[in-house]
Amino acid sequence: MDPAASRPAVVIDNGSGYTKMGFAGNVEPCFIVPSVVAINESFLNQSRSSSKGNWIAQHNAGVMADLDFFIGDDALSKSRSSSTYNLTYPIKHGQVENWDAMERFWQQCIFNYLRCDPEDHYFLLTESPLTAPESREYTGEIMFETFNVPGLYIAVNSVLALAAGYTTSKCEMTGVVVDIGDGATHVVPVADGYVIGSSIKSVPIAGKDVTLFVQQLMRERGENIPPEDSFEVARKVKEMHCYTCSDIVKEYNKHDKEPAKYIKQWRGVKPKTGAPYSCDIGYERFLGPEVFFNPEIYSSDFTTPLPVVIDKCIQSAPIDTRRSLYKNIVLSGGSTMFKDFHRRLQRDIKKIVDARVLAAEARLNGEIKSHPVEVNVLSHPIQRFAVWFGGSVLASTPEFFTACHTKAEYEEYGASICRTNPVFKGMY
Amino acid sequence: MGSTTLRLYLTCIRNTLDAAMCLQNFPCQEVERHNKPEVELKTSPELLLNPVLICRNEAEKCLIETSINSLRISLKVKQADELENILTKKFLRFLSMRAEAFQVLRRKPVQGYDISFLITNYHCEEMQKQKLIDFIVQFMEDIEKEISELKMSVNTRGRLVATEFLKQFI
Amino acid sequence: MLLLEYHNLLLRSILSERFLSSSPVSIDQVISDFDGVTYHISTPEVRTKILVSVSVKCFRDLLQHGAQAVLQREYGAYITETESGYDFSLLIDLENLPVEQEGRDDLIRRVSLLKRNTMAAPFEKAIDEHHRLAEQGVNAETAPQGEGTEVMVIRYREEEAMYIQASHDRVTVIFSTVFREETDRIFGKVFLSEFVDARRRAIQNAPQVLYRNDPPLEIRGLPGLRDDGTGDVGYITFVLFPRHLTAQRREETISHIQTFRDYFHYHIKAAKAYMHSRMRRRVADFLKVLNRAKPDVDEEKKERKTASGRNFRVQG
Repeated sequence: MDPAASRPAVVIDNGSGYTKMGFAGNVEPCFIVPSVVAINESFLNQSRSSSKGNWIAQHNAGVMADLDFFIGDDALSKSRSSSTYNLTYPIKHGQVENWDAMERFWQQCIFNYLRCDPEDHYFLLTESPLTAPESREYTGEIMFETFNVPGLYIAVNSVLALAAGYTTSKCEMTGVVVDIGDGATHVVPVADGYVIGSSIKSVPIAGKDVTLFVQQLMRERGENIPPEDSFEVARKVKEMHCYTCSDIVKEYNKHDKEPAKYIKQWRGVKPKTGAPYSCDIGYERFLGPEVFFNPEIYSSDFTTPLPVVIDKCIQSAPIDTRRSLYKNIVLSGGSTMFKDFHRRLQRDIKKIVDARVLAAEARLNGEIKSHPVEVNVLSHPIQRFAVWFGGSVLASTPEFFTACHTKAEYEEYGASICRTNPVFKGMY
Repeated sequence: MGSTTLRLYLTCIRNTLDAAMCLQNFPCQEVERHNKPEVELKTSPELLLNPVLICRNEAEKCLIETSINSLRISLKVKQADELENILTKKFLRFLSMRAEAFQVLRRKPVQGYDISFLITNYHCEEMQKQKLIDFIVQFMEDIEKEISELKMSVNTRGRLVATEFLKQFI
Repeated sequence: MLLLEYHNLLLRSILSERFLSSSPVSIDQVISDFDGVTYHISTPEVRTKILVSVSVKCFRDLLQHGAQAVLQREYGAYITETESGYDFSLLIDLENLPVEQEGRDDLIRRVSLLKRNTMAAPFEKAIDEHHRLAEQGVNAETAPQGEGTEVMVIRYREEEAMYIQASHDRVTVIFSTVFREETDRIFGKVFLSEFVDARRRAIQNAPQVLYRNDPPLEIRGLPGLRDDGTGDVGYITFVLFPRHLTAQRREETISHIQTFRDYFHYHIKAAKAYMHSRMRRRVADFLKVLNRAKPDVDEEKKERKTASGRNFRVQG
């Protein structure tokens, strides 16, 4: 037997904001690090224009600089302390934009974080349902040619979120995945493990927009935050204090009546002078997450509330899947972690669905009663890395190893094999 | 010396291409309403011209095959040692993975060569002929440069890696 | 990020976090390290007791060369009954940690070096042996010629092994390594020739490095050697001289030489990544040249953007 198949597979979920990585079979990823690379680019751009004599020295420096980079939290701290490093976010809106940075990012993940020889482990990577097939080929090219991985499977992250199956002990492979990450929000219907591609809906509002909105609100109120820190503060406020309310007007009233209970304090230290400062956190606590339900408060371009998008998505799916899709709406991604987010979502979708059923019954003059439609939005504490967990579960089944594309296949047929990644039995 | 022979070699190719690239629309003679690059089919000898082989030396050569509606250029790149060989192989494979974007790149090289281009009359209609020739010549020039730079970078890195590792023992 | 760390990052981060936080949580993680080492970190009974187990492929080989003693020395009181399926276990009681910060840091450091310490035994044995022989040589005035001690074989991966031999004036460490891929083999060869030359070129005091495709003299005739003449197997010999084996240097030398194989393969991969990034840049350049050949697209037909970022097409 292939010795690599007896070792746990490596599961890496690259998101626009954070990368989750670890070994299959575990409940949680070993590391969650920001998907960012700090590159020393001081030499890269000059090497061409310079004169011949200098060229060798520059070439050497260029090779040296190539090894001089950091990822994750190290990258952030390096770029802060020194100006030689430029930060690059290789993934934007769920798509890999900078393959050079991505390749280096993986290199560090494998050798310095997970500490494994990539030749010894199968790999499971994730991609967004909207990724172009070419991008899968490039991923395959990097994994097989650079890292010599014995086998690779590229899974769709929404399918993995479903496979996490944390709702019931039995894995339900039909459902709608509402994936709100830092850079992208997708509503993806999945039937029996297959993505219904034509019904995928994207929302141009994601975690980052919540942060920007919180930042904007605090700035407009004139809170005393040093400008260079304001984005980071907004992010922390979002992560620590934001929650979903059931009704904006009522929530405003609550805040106004009992400010002491609802208004929180933020304390920080100015990065330049080191002087401490503090500021209030008020309405942005519930207004931040509200951008999903009433997007017009944030952007004039996109004004469809998330529950409506989800409803439209299910309505555009094949008719025989709709009931089971309503029954299993799964949240995934860090930005679904706001308190009571799932309750609000469920209530709003239910409202839309019930209104439609009533209208239909009225049209028929009440002659036929339809079955009520069950709407369930499921939430779980691990939904922040649900995709990773789903990957971990799948990659620990024996079927996973047979579903993988192997290096031999890659060499025989070329990178095009990475375009399709079959749904396999372990998914049921 | 190397650079002068390269210049001559490239000039020769440029002139040959300049002369050879007069392509016209020509429907297929065998199958109605088909239009195929004749240089690939090679079924009708009257539509083909004599191929031209330009050699810089034994290891580097360029084959230009012409027909009425299409032109094929195949290159063989110098591979002095194992490392150059593997680097060339990798690079050309990398290129052919992206053949879609290059339009004129043939996905598979002609047997005995490292990389081939296929230019049809449609390409000539879409693109400016001189610029297209510029591209081919630039390509040949750069590929040689790139391979030698890559080779050097592997050596440099090896030195760096070895020195760094052994330094730790002191 | 040139060198690889000696410790396991995850072990260290889990322990540091646990030691700091006041609320214990349950842990259950199986993680891998280089060279087929697997750790299991768990809290089987109560949340305050962390069990760290390690499984090493070549543990049997290591035991023969005194691994038990080394581990006893390093971990002493923390050693516990070995978890089934693993080779060695430690139990850390969060309620019974060293009081001062230094002791805690030291414990974290020791535990995160678990792999290094487990693998260290044969090296320590060889170095001790070397010192013994050297002393004998001085006393007897007749240095024992050539012949060293028996070669210790550590089969730490499926197809690869380490061979360690001590003699009065050196310790020889031989790695066999397999290249499964053509590119790796060629890059590896270039790298190794630089290793061989490095001593001559820059650092005279470094260990001597030799490289060949057939088994070197020291280990010829040992059972289980692979020599099919295909050049897939490489034998890299490190000759460590007394100056690398002094009491001050030996800890570092042992840690460092253990990382050789992974360091080497890591950099072959990094070189390939660099090659890819150069090729990407070159492809972009080529496309730019090719696109110059296309006549400019009609400006009027181009897509334009509104101030808010929507696209629209100008109607002709």
